[in-house]
Amino acid sequence: MKVNRRRLLSLLGMSPALLAGTQFEAGQKRKDEHGGAGSDQKLTAVSPKGTPPPIQLYSMAPRASSLDGKTIYVVDATSFLGSATLLHKMQAWFQQNMPSVKTVFRTKAGVYAEDDPKLWAEIKANAYACVMAIGH
Amino acid sequence: MGVPAIPMCTQAYTELAKLTAARDGMPHLRQVFTPHPVGGKTDAELAAYLVNPDPVSGIQIMKEIVDDLTRPLTADEKKTGMDAIAAGPATFGPDTVDNLQEIFMNNGMTDYMPIIIPTEEKVDAMLKATSHHPDEVLRTPVQGVGYTSSRWGYTVRQVAVNAVMAGCRPEFFPVVLAMASLGPLGLFGSTTSSSTAIVINGPIRDKLNMNYGLGALGPFAQANATIGRSWTLMGKNLTNGGILGDTYQGGQGNQLDYNNCVIAEDEKNSPWTPLHVQFGFKPEENVVSIFGGPDLRQGHGARGAGAEIAMFDQQMSFMFQSMVGGSGALVICDPLVAKRLVDQGYDTKEKLSEWLWKNTNRTVKDFKESFLASFHLYPLALQGREPYASWYKMPDDAMIPFFPKASQINLVVCGGQANAFFQIANMNHGRSASIDKWM
Repeated sequence: MKVNRRRLLSLLGMSPALLAGTQFEAGQKRKDEHGGAGSDQKLTAVSPKGTPPPIQLYSMAPRASSLDGKTIYVVDATSFLGSATLLHKMQAWFQQNMPSVKTVFRTKAGVYAEDDPKLWAEIKANAYACVMAIGH
Repeated sequence: MGVPAIPMCTQAYTELAKLTAARDGMPHLRQVFTPHPVGGKTDAELAAYLVNPDPVSGIQIMKEIVDDLTRPLTADEKKTGMDAIAAGPATFGPDTVDNLQEIFMNNGMTDYMPIIIPTEEKVDAMLKATSHHPDEVLRTPVQGVGYTSSRWGYTVRQVAVNAVMAGCRPEFFPVVLAMASLGPLGLFGSTTSSSTAIVINGPIRDKLNMNYGLGALGPFAQANATIGRSWTLMGKNLTNGGILGDTYQGGQGNQLDYNNCVIAEDEKNSPWTPLHVQFGFKPEENVVSIFGGPDLRQGHGARGAGAEIAMFDQQMSFMFQSMVGGSGALVICDPLVAKRLVDQGYDTKEKLSEWLWKNTNRTVKDFKESFLASFHLYPLALQGREPYASWYKMPDDAMIPFFPKASQINLVVCGGQANAFFQIANMNHGRSASIDKWM
């Protein structure tokens, strides 16, 4: 049977607040044993940080001097709301302002953080460049 | 790829985009930014974005794109070789406890609550609780594709430092190591503010005095409190997560990240098979399971929650209807609820999961217009992944299950039997690991 310590103390005519006093003393003793938070003792702490990867630097791809006659892939990389529409507007802009540029719209397969090597190979084979809309 | 490429995102992610490019080895990558957001804008507004200035560079966006694709590269843009990111000093101090608390807090290494200062002595004491070598690598640092916070590596010793900071006793350390072996760690950086639930099964629950009775999900046991806290500290420190505007983009953040909803299942008072046994582990094994998703909600709000005869299956189904269907559900039943469900005929968790899956439905139209569908599930459909590929081919008024699979509805039991209540975490099971392996 569980003992309700507060009720037991009340029946004995003692304040249940005694329970809190008892716990406080035990806590105080423990604090004294280990040194208080306000202690002037000086400690050296170990860093909790993990290990970052080394970074391999990559050159950007060389640029042609003009987009005339070039193919540009416009890629919806995340399928976030509105990104496909924005890219279709970009296709329309090229058609109106730089008609010699051919644009191709593609949606990257998989969830946004997933790679799509098949699409990258298609772009490398067919396009001069790509514009990738990421979000949001 | 070797092809000129221009990434384009909204102004809200300027810092993240630039830092990510640098971490991927292209610190001078030419990037274009639109105003924020793109979602929810009309066709005319989006067309206007393209002929108006990039809010970061000030150059008209289409002019900037054409220029970025044709302007010769600078020496910096052609640079190759190796670069390095610094993780900071190996130690801090010597200094007073108060000053070290400030140093750790001001350098983003805490959850903004006081920590146990990780001295060499305390870390060594933690390391004695495992047979694994302190220098054993749990995760190798990698550069490349994937979430930025998944790229840092860490060792057993580095995990121990964070366990000390969280207030873990050494005997808790194998649980923390098992969690760390699962990665990615706490503080998932998504704009969704998704968080974690950590379920612990096996005899270790009693060995560590974990609370799975009255107040099981509250702050009433050291193991529950500190093991959960360590998940967030590890995410911040071991994998460089939780940097606002960089590796953390959670729009509103999540209170669950303070403790990550640690659940020790009450295997004794549960009428059902423990979760870890459902996942293929032996009953006597100690196992930790990680769930991820946006929130935790009380069953009190369900339709019929005040009915004289509680129909918990229907209440749960009702609550599922406002969840993120692409995720999953972790139903946390008080033993009184579990026993009542057994009386209703659900003598296994699987039977209840199956009923909930079959009886919680929506139209295809509702699914298509639901959160996650357009940017998370539609791309999967394009890859032919089921059931999404089939769902996108069905008519808008066809009825489909709310969750893709019955196995995405999991159940655990805990609580003090004070009343027949349940809670549901809108979370999906990610990974499970043996704790015994780390003893």
